[in-house]
Amino acid sequence: MLNAPEPSAAGRNALAVIVIVVALVLQVSVANRLPLPGEVTPDLVLLAVVALALVSGSMTGMVAGFCAGLAADIIPPADHTIGRYALVYCLIGYVCGLASAEMDRQSLVPFFAVAAGALAGTVLYAATGMMLGDPRATWGTVSGMVPLQVLYDVIASPFVVWAVLRVTRRYERGERSRDRFAVPAARYRAMSGRGGGL
Amino acid sequence: MKDTRRTRVVLSVLLVTALAMITADYRGGDHSPLGGLRGVGAAVFGPVERASAAVVRPVGNTLDAITDAPGERRRADRLQRDNQRLRERLRAGHLDQDRSAQLTRLLGTAGTGGYRIRAAQVISAGQGFEDTVTIDVGSRSGVRRDMTVMSADGLVGRVTRVGPATATVLLATDVTSSVGSRLEDSKEIGIVQGRGRRGLGNGGRTPLRFQLLDANAPIQVGQRLVTLGSQGESPYVPGVPVGVVEEIGNPAGGLTRTAYVRPFVRFTSLDVVAVVVAAPKTDPRDAVLPPAPAKPSPSASPRPSGPAGSPASGKPGRTGRPARPTTEPTSGD
Repeated sequence: MLNAPEPSAAGRNALAVIVIVVALVLQVSVANRLPLPGEVTPDLVLLAVVALALVSGSMTGMVAGFCAGLAADIIPPADHTIGRYALVYCLIGYVCGLASAEMDRQSLVPFFAVAAGALAGTVLYAATGMMLGDPRATWGTVSGMVPLQVLYDVIASPFVVWAVLRVTRRYERGERSRDRFAVPAARYRAMSGRGGGL
Repeated sequence: MKDTRRTRVVLSVLLVTALAMITADYRGGDHSPLGGLRGVGAAVFGPVERASAAVVRPVGNTLDAITDAPGERRRADRLQRDNQRLRERLRAGHLDQDRSAQLTRLLGTAGTGGYRIRAAQVISAGQGFEDTVTIDVGSRSGVRRDMTVMSADGLVGRVTRVGPATATVLLATDVTSSVGSRLEDSKEIGIVQGRGRRGLGNGGRTPLRFQLLDANAPIQVGQRLVTLGSQGESPYVPGVPVGVVEEIGNPAGGLTRTAYVRPFVRFTSLDVVAVVVAAPKTDPRDAVLPPAPAKPSPSASPRPSGPAGSPASGKPGRTGRPARPTTEPTSGD
């Protein structure tokens, strides 16, 4: 898919990079500083990876996940072992990309994908921490964080997913011939619109 | 997916890369071969974060105002509009009054203790389980690793990583942080450790735990803590206020006694902080602590251990920060 000789591949990749960088910067400089109850914050980077994977499939999803995770590992306030988020987001991007094929049939897939991704992301990240003996990732902390993390991610997901779709859709406007992308995007946009209105 | 085989190959390559990086970075510790990568991260994302912080600061302040006073929403809305207008006006004059006030207090605190500081602003915060923030000064401003970071209220943390224009601060509430501390008015020393995620799940009021090294030493609720100072004043300089003992753990016959501490600093809303670039020449002892509360404290007098019994430092009736002491404290150690 990435090596397909279509004129828009480079443009779409650049778009994915922009989406990830914006999500990262918003994550560290806005989301992480919100004084939310429980001191848990929505994981915008994870949501961006999930959205990209749902729109463009598992190949884009996992490459985007890996790059986003690596960037999240080295962006300044990060203080954990390099590679942990890369591993976790790569897996999540891959799995959510597999689910993108199901999106035409099941309209609830995006929300399940976000919830499952948030759950898996927190638990996997904590698991890597426990394996490496990270004193921060204790069972008490993790079990307190997981439910809130999933809740916040699901609440924030319509906004992030809507933004990502908006960006990708604008880019793909005028390329109606490639219905493979147009159909899930349209369906998905309707979904997120309904979710935001709740 | 059409291209399943290729997808799987790429997936396994990426996963193996991630695992290899984790292994290399974990085994390397502080001298990790991937340290350069972090440097790249700081060099690339540091300026972006600074720019983004400048943009989102008004938004963040607005959100803070809303969440701090949920009951006064309408008033907050009105004030928010006013604020916005005033803030624009202030920015035009290059004078952020908030910041100026905080800086003045900060200078007061630093002046009291004799610290030489470099003021900084928090521009981003860490993700996951770590309590870290980025500040907008770096090696170009003379900030180096293992310098103490304080605010006008007290201890914030220490610098763990420095980029050209940004630095990463490990907050005192992080699980991996431990600070040598001393009870006010006594020589009893111990270690203040963070409880993680600003105290999540352990009651947000006492995100710090104080382990008193002498299990039989007297300790009371309401006693305050200052930093003891590390060897060579790095990473922690002496005399920075840490917090108040809120609760004393059960003396279950351990080698140490545990108390839970409410910090002076509100770690959820850090804004203007200061990096201590030079330690005071003499240990300020308890001089930097704010005036004791009006109610009779368990200790005999608010501040008897002021060196040479300096009467100027304990002026009653003053609200807020004490005036700069007329005599610089001259302590023996």
